[in-house]
Amino acid sequence: MFWKIRLPLILTFFVGLVPIVTFFLTTRVPGVSFIRDHVEQYMVIIAGFALLLGVVNVVQGNIKKIEQRKPGWPFSISLLAGLITMGVFGILSGMKVGPFQGILAAPDGSMTPFYWMTKNLFNPLQAAMFSLLAFYIASAAFRAFRVRNIDATILIVAAFFVMLGRTPMGEYIFGWLPGGETWMPKMTDWIMAVPNAAAQRGIIIGAALGAASLSLRVILGIERSYLGSDK
Amino acid sequence: MSDLIGVWVGALMTLCIFSFLYKDNHFFRFAESLFAGVSLGYYIGIVSVQTLTPNLITPLRTDFSNHLHLLIPLIIGLNLYTRYIPKIAWMARISLAIYIAYYVGINMVQKLQGEVVPQVGSTIMNPIGGRITPIDNLIMIIGVLSVLVYFYFSIEHKGVLKPVSRVGIWFLMLGFGAAFGYTVMGRVSLLIGRMNYLFIDVIRVTSQHFGN
Amino acid sequence: MILEKLVNIDRRIVYLLIAVGTIIPILIPIGFPVSTTPPVESLFDKVESLNSEDVVLISFDYGPTTAPENDPMAEAMLRHCFSRNIKVVVIALFPIGGVTMAGEAVATVTAEFPNLTNGVDYVLLGYKDGAQAAMKQMGVDIAGVFPSDQYGTSLADLPLMQTVRNYDDVDLIVSFATGVIGEWWANLINAQFGTPVAVGCTAVSAPKYYAFLDSGQMIGLLGGLKGASEYEKLLTTSYPALNEVYNRAGTYTATKGMDAQTVDHALIMIFILFGNTIYFLIKRREKKLEEA
Repeated sequence: MFWKIRLPLILTFFVGLVPIVTFFLTTRVPGVSFIRDHVEQYMVIIAGFALLLGVVNVVQGNIKKIEQRKPGWPFSISLLAGLITMGVFGILSGMKVGPFQGILAAPDGSMTPFYWMTKNLFNPLQAAMFSLLAFYIASAAFRAFRVRNIDATILIVAAFFVMLGRTPMGEYIFGWLPGGETWMPKMTDWIMAVPNAAAQRGIIIGAALGAASLSLRVILGIERSYLGSDK
Repeated sequence: MSDLIGVWVGALMTLCIFSFLYKDNHFFRFAESLFAGVSLGYYIGIVSVQTLTPNLITPLRTDFSNHLHLLIPLIIGLNLYTRYIPKIAWMARISLAIYIAYYVGINMVQKLQGEVVPQVGSTIMNPIGGRITPIDNLIMIIGVLSVLVYFYFSIEHKGVLKPVSRVGIWFLMLGFGAAFGYTVMGRVSLLIGRMNYLFIDVIRVTSQHFGN
Repeated sequence: MILEKLVNIDRRIVYLLIAVGTIIPILIPIGFPVSTTPPVESLFDKVESLNSEDVVLISFDYGPTTAPENDPMAEAMLRHCFSRNIKVVVIALFPIGGVTMAGEAVATVTAEFPNLTNGVDYVLLGYKDGAQAAMKQMGVDIAGVFPSDQYGTSLADLPLMQTVRNYDDVDLIVSFATGVIGEWWANLINAQFGTPVAVGCTAVSAPKYYAFLDSGQMIGLLGGLKGASEYEKLLTTSYPALNEVYNRAGTYTATKGMDAQTVDHALIMIFILFGNTIYFLIKRREKKLEEA
């Protein structure tokens, strides 16, 4: 019970206090700065280990999928092939073995194997996957965006102002009016800087208070869901 | 030559992803699985080369006695992986508690000192005046207060709270409309980048290679 | 019936129209003019006020997913700094491609300024995990987070880093960000250390950051492709020699991208108006049928 629950909660409390205390007490209290420097340096390293936790999960899941011949199992092979190749290239790049001289271009400008895979597989796949969103937003704008009430009307009017004002379209459409070329961009600036900022500020303050109270609950051990189940 | 092959591999992967727009197919699913695998492999490479090697492995290897304290993050980091060994999975909670506690502590001070205090501070201002028009400050105060009233769900919005909450919704709709406009801009930009790659970069590299 | 057919039009036709609306302006540039806005002008003026004794810390907090927006901003900022001989320290905190974007941008721009020396005029420190922990520790000791640069050279051997120990030695932090890391520079680092912060963000994040801009936590904001194009315009107006770079055929710039952006915005507005017109016509017809 102590090792499984109480010790993690005690550690949560003391480690959670470190960034709070060190935010206000910096170099004035030598003991505090010693703890802060080491804890922050350690966290950079621990974050590296934590980031790779997900990799183990994915590898386990896909190996199981291949073993059990679940639907779509051939694609698990391509996933693992990409993961292992890129991962091995990365580790060899760190060891600077043979042609693996780093993760970016070599000093003479030539491509290292890791950089070749980054530039010609990682970058295009990442970019293409997210660029699909442009098509979806266009489709949603046509099929789902309906002005059913006053609130939706305000939303669409603001959206139109921004879409017109943030491109030269607004200047061309209203250019025939006296001072019309600058009217639309200025109106858009005002919408962003005043009513939009006010709304975003309200959301920021509300969300920040909620997040701060949740953080306090975690530090005080009231919120324990991050520890998982007791079994 | 590797540039030419590379750019055509990139173009092929892009077209495999775009093929989903017509309908789901094996080319898309192959590219999607490769996307997931290569992304995770990239993580492995980056973390090992950029963080673990210079900050942990190299100091321990070159000057072990002066960097003994680095065994602490090494043990805490490796302890995270005990969650995959059922008999000692509980030990991972210790490392998890330390990791989460630190970032939760940062989050708390970030939210209060970095968001609540400055945002409230810059709202409480002289209501007469503004950067663009003379009524900007007044609109800002009304907007922030009405939005906060809208988000206060602990009591029913009736009486004087109802119209104030209504005004808050209007401000939120203005904000969401502006956000929608900017979201359109953001998403379209990503597509512009990909189309530029397919129709300009691929053609340029190909024509350079064939000396045209 | 025809109204129902129109409202249920195959989505692939919509996709095709967007694709064509994007491709044509890329192949046949239109050359729409760009007008500038105060948030971008504010950042430009701040950099204009710096000189060769000043240091700008540039953080690449984005990846290939938002490179079309953030790359032009980052390159424009690097060109601006190098044109004024401002010293630049480059880091990356975004795990999904940040260091690659940083390496490519630095390689591209430093090739245009052959008189620059790595380690003296600029350094590329690379990527570190832990984002907030790294950001906080850099406020005390940059070498504690980045013991060496991207190429393995110890910070003790880099002349620039002998005078840049922490944020006290940095005059401006500029983050090019895709996610929350941009606002962390404002609500964590500016809040604790007071160092001026500016953010070049993807358009999706920009509306939120106007609140930080208004409160003074950010001194400038480049929002999306439009923000990048505005910075390019200010840069090429003040430094005409850079027009050669921006007008080079085949080079992707934010200004060129705004052509396609404008056409696509027009298309999406037409889709919204068209969809709602059909919706109201269907509603009116249903109302008439009910009354009848």
